[in-house]
Amino acid sequence: MGILNTISRLRGRDRLIVSNNRSFARFDYRKQLTDYTYVVFDTELTGLNRKKDEIIAIGAVRIRDLQIDLGETFHYYVKPQNRDHTRATLIHRITPQQLEEAPPLETVLPLFLKFIEEDLLVGHYVPIDTGFLDRATRKLYNGTIANPSLDTMRMAQIYKRMVLGDYHGSQQVADGRYNLQRLSTELNLPYFEAHDALEDALQTAYLFIFLVKKLHSVGIRTIRELFAAGKELAHTARTPDGV
Amino acid sequence: MAGKDRKQAPVIPSVNGSENAVAPEVAVAFLKSTMPFKELDDQALRDLALHCKIDFFPKGTRLLTYNESDITHLYLIQRGGVRAFITDDDGDIVLKDYRGVGSNIGALGIIRGTKANLNIETVEDTFCYLIPRDIFKELVRSVSAISHYYLKNFSDNVVATAYTELRKNKLTRRPTEELLLFNTKAGELSKPLFSVSATTSIQESGMIMARQGIGSLLVYVDEDPGSMIGIITDTDFRSKVIAEGRDIRGPVSSIMSSPLKTVPADMLCFDVLLKMMTTSIHHLGVEQSGRVTGVITSHDIMVQQGNSPYYLFKEISAQSEFEGLYLLSKKISGLVRNILKEGAKAGDISRMITLINERILARILVLLHDQLGPAPVRYSWLMFGSEGRNEQTFKTDQDNGIIYRDPEPRQQKEVENYFRMFGEQATYHLLKCGYPSCKDNVMASNPLWCRSMSSWKEQFSHWIGEAGRHDQLGASIFFDFRHAYGTEQLAVDLRDHIITCCRQKNTIIENLGRNFLSLRAPLSFFQQFVVEQNGDHKDWLDIKMRGLAPFVDFARILSLKYGIRQTNTLIRLKRLSARMKLDKSFYLEMVDAYELQLQLRVIHQLSQIEQGKEPDDFIYPEELSDLEKRMLKDGFSVIGRMQNLMAKEIAEA
Repeated sequence: MGILNTISRLRGRDRLIVSNNRSFARFDYRKQLTDYTYVVFDTELTGLNRKKDEIIAIGAVRIRDLQIDLGETFHYYVKPQNRDHTRATLIHRITPQQLEEAPPLETVLPLFLKFIEEDLLVGHYVPIDTGFLDRATRKLYNGTIANPSLDTMRMAQIYKRMVLGDYHGSQQVADGRYNLQRLSTELNLPYFEAHDALEDALQTAYLFIFLVKKLHSVGIRTIRELFAAGKELAHTARTPDGV
Repeated sequence: MAGKDRKQAPVIPSVNGSENAVAPEVAVAFLKSTMPFKELDDQALRDLALHCKIDFFPKGTRLLTYNESDITHLYLIQRGGVRAFITDDDGDIVLKDYRGVGSNIGALGIIRGTKANLNIETVEDTFCYLIPRDIFKELVRSVSAISHYYLKNFSDNVVATAYTELRKNKLTRRPTEELLLFNTKAGELSKPLFSVSATTSIQESGMIMARQGIGSLLVYVDEDPGSMIGIITDTDFRSKVIAEGRDIRGPVSSIMSSPLKTVPADMLCFDVLLKMMTTSIHHLGVEQSGRVTGVITSHDIMVQQGNSPYYLFKEISAQSEFEGLYLLSKKISGLVRNILKEGAKAGDISRMITLINERILARILVLLHDQLGPAPVRYSWLMFGSEGRNEQTFKTDQDNGIIYRDPEPRQQKEVENYFRMFGEQATYHLLKCGYPSCKDNVMASNPLWCRSMSSWKEQFSHWIGEAGRHDQLGASIFFDFRHAYGTEQLAVDLRDHIITCCRQKNTIIENLGRNFLSLRAPLSFFQQFVVEQNGDHKDWLDIKMRGLAPFVDFARILSLKYGIRQTNTLIRLKRLSARMKLDKSFYLEMVDAYELQLQLRVIHQLSQIEQGKEPDDFIYPEELSDLEKRMLKDGFSVIGRMQNLMAKEIAEA
């Protein structure tokens, strides 16, 4: 098994990645936001260092027709490679025991890739999650998936700017005013104490459908329009690019 | 419900391709916090959660449209709120109710398989759980706790339509027995069978029904009187004969519903009602060993059910002892709780309580006449204050009096004595039935309020002439009098007298109006409300004095000015709106604000009764949800406009 895997990795990118990338080669950015299917996800990490830290849980829920589908959820704990991480995880609402019993990333990652298929990815401050995801697929499959991702934090900034007329978005990110809990409370979304990555994903999903429908009223109706609004925001507020 | 709970586990099919899907705990917890889904066990809740979708509807989204929308799923509100309304014949919006977190929308439509029966629109940003129609129907069918919850909803509707029939129908005496849905079988309740052959004419069938006093008739094939092929009901005459202008000489088979739906005689009434609910057929044949032996209707079942208003009503009418009435009157609050739980409006409750109170009063007075002999002259028993306006919710203090026809001088003493005795005893029995004495002694037992016609007229002339100089508020409850028992013409004559007096002396309008203008609108300052600043009820909102009274006063004063005879505030407002050509939206705002407050008061008082407290009118703002607070606040803002209008009316006067 190990040898076969190594060979296929040496030969190039995994077929999973190839077919994924192929299907996004001609991605249509002009469709209505309502017409896409999304996977809202959240990862739990041992820390934010991309070199050392690892994914220890993935939670996700699908959104179809802009409705959160509770029948299509994904939730796995992941056993970290570095055993020290197992011991240091209490802060992550996960017990060391749960991690010991969890499958390794090699098992969970293909399940997750199968789950997300060709859906768009959504996350709150999604660059962190996609960063770790890319690192994992690079390592296991020698490539990265091409699913476009949307960041609800950036969308919230756009919303506040365009709908509420609030121009202090970028400063407030640093204050933690865009953290998921505070946004949910501020926007009067259903709010709960999230217990795991799945519930964080669910909380993000609430925020996402709220924002898409609200942004619709100010003329942001396609992915392209959303990205354009994000760029404009990045330009005027000098924050990193990419919605 | 005992013994009827079925196993819940297999109710909900698993979701295709979701072997690994797990419902977030928070979703399960949310479902568990709502009625009636809290009745499900944990596994069923988890399965149910997997079928749910969550949707977001910005404020102002129309979810359902009356008679148009197919209901594809049940909406369960997680955040936000909606209003339910219909549009009446004039195109006006009639608000039915507001629903907030934890309420559901669309249940009855799904159960009955009809289109939406209300318009539903979000009044704030709203998140809903969506439960697919088929899953919901399956739950109703197989989980008795859930079907029972909606069944009560259904039965209250049946009961509501039964009200109008109450007064017309002669109430026959029947043995007192409490029949429960779960231990009575269809056969025990079925009515004897009346049937005609299919070729009988429509007219003749109608005559048979009228002669027998029955609401339905079975139809059999000519050659075989034993095999029923259909049924006709009162409704068929209305909708098929009259509405379509059919020839009444035609055969009855042309208007019957066919085939006849039947239930076995040993089916439990609960299941029979369930069948009626799901099929929307309210008349079923009862079948025994292959033959139809009778008919059963939803009405028959509801009437027999222990806690229905109809049942209580019948029992009151059947009482021949005062003691029996004392006991029955204790049941009223339990009954109110039952119908309120399922979403009855304050208006429905007032109407029901009014009917029951009147029935108790009538029974007491009839029994008293048996004891004291008939009244020597004609009289009218009057109700004042909130009872006079048909607005009481729970038992309120007695506010009553008697007008009797002016006696011949030689009769004077005898008549006075009779009514004094009559008034004393009647108020005593009312007290024993749980209607406390009036603190200001406005009762028929007080000679001041038990008077001859000419004496009453004098009294009102005096009030109208003197109003404004002293105590006009004390007198205002008398202007809201209503006839409750006896000879109504006396009350009508007295009302005529008042209208004439007010026309001649309109200073009363001016004085009462000025008083109204000096009211403080209960807006803002402390936690958005004017709350009581002193005493035991500091920080509370007195919803009666601050909230409802301005509407009541406004309607009363202008009704006096415009000679409107009605006493009920909502009816007065409607008449005034037509008479004064009020702006439609202004009128509706007043009505909405007033009804909302009535509703909040009922809920507040009911929760007090549940906690074993005496009901009062003091609402702590924290008891209210954000939505209720905001609606209440919006409602209060209309008072300012009412005051402007009043100022104009005074200036004209």
